[in-house]
Amino acid sequence: MNKWLKRIIIPFLAPALALYLVFFLYPAAQSLWVSLNDWSGFTRDMRFIGLKNFQEAFKDRIFHRVLLQSVGLVAVGGVLTFVLSLFFTGLLGGKRKGKAFFRAVIFTPNVITMVALATLWGFIYNPRFGLLNNLLRLLGLKSLSDVPWMGPDLVYWSILAAVVWIYVGFYTILFMAGADKIPLAFYDAAKLEGAGSLRMFFTITFPLLWDVISMGLIYWIIDAFMQFEFYYAVSGSFPPIQIWTIPIYVVILAFGKRTPIFRMGYATAVAFFLLVMVALVVTLGRRFLRRGSVEY
Amino acid sequence: MERDRLKQASAGQFLTRRLVSAVPSGLANFFLYLWIAFTLFTILWVILASFKTNQQLFENVWSLPRGLNLQSYVKAWKISKMGNYFLNSVLLITISTAGIVFVAAPAAYVLARVAFRGRQLITNVFVSGMSIPQVLLLVPMFMLLRRLLLLDKLIGVGLVYIVVNLPFTIFMLMSFFVTLPGELEEAAAIDGASAFRTFRTVMLPLAGPGISTAFIINFIWNWKEYFWPMVLISSDTKKTVSLGLYGLQGSMQYSADWVGLFAGCVIVMLPTLALYLLMSRRIMSGMTLGALKG
Repeated sequence: MNKWLKRIIIPFLAPALALYLVFFLYPAAQSLWVSLNDWSGFTRDMRFIGLKNFQEAFKDRIFHRVLLQSVGLVAVGGVLTFVLSLFFTGLLGGKRKGKAFFRAVIFTPNVITMVALATLWGFIYNPRFGLLNNLLRLLGLKSLSDVPWMGPDLVYWSILAAVVWIYVGFYTILFMAGADKIPLAFYDAAKLEGAGSLRMFFTITFPLLWDVISMGLIYWIIDAFMQFEFYYAVSGSFPPIQIWTIPIYVVILAFGKRTPIFRMGYATAVAFFLLVMVALVVTLGRRFLRRGSVEY
Repeated sequence: MERDRLKQASAGQFLTRRLVSAVPSGLANFFLYLWIAFTLFTILWVILASFKTNQQLFENVWSLPRGLNLQSYVKAWKISKMGNYFLNSVLLITISTAGIVFVAAPAAYVLARVAFRGRQLITNVFVSGMSIPQVLLLVPMFMLLRRLLLLDKLIGVGLVYIVVNLPFTIFMLMSFFVTLPGELEEAAAIDGASAFRTFRTVMLPLAGPGISTAFIINFIWNWKEYFWPMVLISSDTKKTVSLGLYGLQGSMQYSADWVGLFAGCVIVMLPTLALYLLMSRRIMSGMTLGALKG
């Protein structure tokens, strides 16, 4: 039996392994080498400089700023996203009319091209014609209705709100998949004891969902640091520094936008921080967040 | 007496508790409806706005379009070349997504069902790829494709799509193959079928739902993204539809043609939204699967 099956191991694995080695692992490993060099990428002027790129990153004001902005997204965006997702999970748990419809609508932003969402939010926040300021005008809130939502003071928070809107859909669906596995009998029993829906959420749903929530948290932290497409497109032109993310900074360092920079080595060193961050979050997250799965 | 008073008290308590919990749950539901309405509204609004003229749009952003004005679509499709980009995307993404599944399915099958030395190691090597940030590959991938003369070619982008999605797809398909009953292979072996034939005629059809989910999820992801084409494609004629929309949006500051831009949005959104309407359940569970790996 096993011998019979073993004949297919090599032909079945070879294409995937070959492609993966040449076009994924090799460039991934090469990135380490590139990050140790000063290199414009276009001529044969690769110069080994050791850890200098990493030292520079530690002192780089812009990198600090971008890092801080990402941490802000992780923290503030994370609290908002998780509170709202859990809130919707609690509301949509159990049997409920129209549940499938609500779920499907909440998730919808996740299947739409980020550029289209970015265009939409760009128009919502447009100072003169935008939907938000138009709505505020309709409501008679004149003082608020010419706020430049995409101006340097507010753009970070405006975009954060839009990102939360996108990701609440994702995490609601993630949590609901877990919540649907909780036996309804638990809730029936709690109801008999006179527990309200809020109480049931905190004594049943939340603890039994903890595993999924903690995995979601790890995923969120990584996802928040990796933000690129929405942020890069949302301003409609070169993104203002207030909404730069680490991947945006890497792309700008490598290829520039208006003026090419071509700092391939330094760009890759900055990208390397992302890998370190992912490794850290995954290991620390696994150690501290998981309390072992609850059996039910 | 005592008992009656207790009863009364608890009845009163029950009432107040119900009142107290009814108010927040009413508010909570209101908020949920608001959220749903907003999400539906934004998508519908973009579609409706794309049928207006720019003048109508700026006169009143809330008004319904006066009739079906398809001009902006004609303009987006022809002049902004979204039609050309759309065709590029359909070709590139259908072929590369098929490629992902074509390469990942046999590998996932072997890793999930055949015991051999090094299986765990190979599985780990593949799955750990899921945590490598794509932006880390940016510079080396650019250099590698340049050396292979695959820069500014759709084949190059397709190749990148295949490899960066391999880890997740293998992980996903393994979880489908693991659940299939083992007796089938035994029966096929006794019948004298070759292992390859068994895979093709027995296991693949059984894993059909898993494989089609993998295809659809990868299709949506690749359709949505513009990072790799932005970096790897420089010719105007080779842009994908997402990248084309990004370019269209960038030229907005000069053209101020919002309606044309919204028409472009609808063109880009349509295929994935249509897929989502047909099988929202499978798409939702497939797309959130990656997060459960942690």
